[in-house]
Amino acid sequence: MIENELFDSLRLELRRGCLILAVLAQLRAEHYGYTLRKALADEGLAIEESTLYPLLRRLETQGLLTSEWREEEKRNKRFYRLSAEGAAILTQLLAEWNGINDSLHRIVKDKEER
Amino acid sequence: MDLLERYLQAVGQYLPAKGRGDTLAELRANLLAEMDGRVEELGRPLNEDEIAAVLEKHGSPPVVAARYLPQQSLIGPALFPLYRFTLLKSFPLVLLVYAAVQVAKYIFGAEDWSFGSAIGHLPFVAFMFWAWMTLGFAVFEFAQGRYFARVKWPETWNVRDLPAVDKQKGPSFANRVAEVVVNSLMFLWLLAVPTHPYLILGPGGSLRGTPFGLSPEWRVFYWQIIALLGLMLVLKFCQLLTRSADWLKGLGLATQVASLLVLVVMVQARTYFAYVPEGHGLPSLETLASVNYWVNFGFKIALAVAVIKLAADVWQMVANSQAKQNGCVRAL
Repeated sequence: MIENELFDSLRLELRRGCLILAVLAQLRAEHYGYTLRKALADEGLAIEESTLYPLLRRLETQGLLTSEWREEEKRNKRFYRLSAEGAAILTQLLAEWNGINDSLHRIVKDKEER
Repeated sequence: MDLLERYLQAVGQYLPAKGRGDTLAELRANLLAEMDGRVEELGRPLNEDEIAAVLEKHGSPPVVAARYLPQQSLIGPALFPLYRFTLLKSFPLVLLVYAAVQVAKYIFGAEDWSFGSAIGHLPFVAFMFWAWMTLGFAVFEFAQGRYFARVKWPETWNVRDLPAVDKQKGPSFANRVAEVVVNSLMFLWLLAVPTHPYLILGPGGSLRGTPFGLSPEWRVFYWQIIALLGLMLVLKFCQLLTRSADWLKGLGLATQVASLLVLVVMVQARTYFAYVPEGHGLPSLETLASVNYWVNFGFKIALAVAVIKLAADVWQMVANSQAKQNGCVRAL
């Protein structure tokens, strides 16, 4: 039980940064909350709606996203898109992510070979 | 859609007025889209149970609202180490001031003072200290970033500016030998006083030629003092023999307690000088009372200082042992 809780907590921590990266990358094309969640799930990264929607607002407050209300299929929806600042940050984050990923692969591979 | 409206109303209760409408409008749009997605999957309109399932999966209203709120803490992680450090470092000072005030009340005979009330009031004082400190830090946490720039720890610093490691040093062997010698001499001197009264100097000497002499009470507290001084001498001698730093500290505290008890005996005596019919001159009872009062007052002051010193030493010993358990040596 405690092991499961610990795993869940560590998994959450691990996913937190990755989700931000995925959301920023996915929002290079415009989406509203529901379609963004579907798009991420289709790519294999399922994310709870109660996590995603507040995250979008936080990223917008930080200036990484822009949003606008627009009517689509007779309903008002809030569409999000990556801002210029968000695009610059995304480039830096992706470089960082790739560096971490390569290092991690090397570390895990080295351990497995020994 | 009654359930959706009820759900949004419940979430809205936990959101701040500013931006509430916007958040709820977006939440409504997203939840409706979720329901549309389910309709598309099932190929028919949702019944009430299915709508409820969508909303329940989204999360309970307080949990959902909390996710839309900025992360808040009374004292943030950047400030918390300083808060903890300040609490730990300043609490002994609070205890010291409290002890000093209580001793002063006792010395000056405050009417409302009693030992029980002095001890009983201490938890309240400790709680008030903690409450005010926490409030102060919480206000600072709230204000920084809003009314003034967020305070940051300096990014550039020099490790050489840190204070040197303070090694816990006990009294040196030479000091301990000197203490045993001095205590032995004092003990012998006091033992010799009954058979050689001329050894009493100071107050005893100055009383020659007056109608005042030492009070009969000395016969009682003299032996109590001799017993306690004997105990102190044994403890000092043990300190001389022991090599363990912990034992040295423990014996040091025990010696302090013994010397404190000597002062307690002296304070309780109250009458040090009395009228001696065979003395010279006329007695002045007012002068006698005044002398006894001021000698007693002097012993009370000495007792107060000894109590405060003992409290500080005990506190330091506890703090050092905690630091030792944490794997570091705390500065003395």
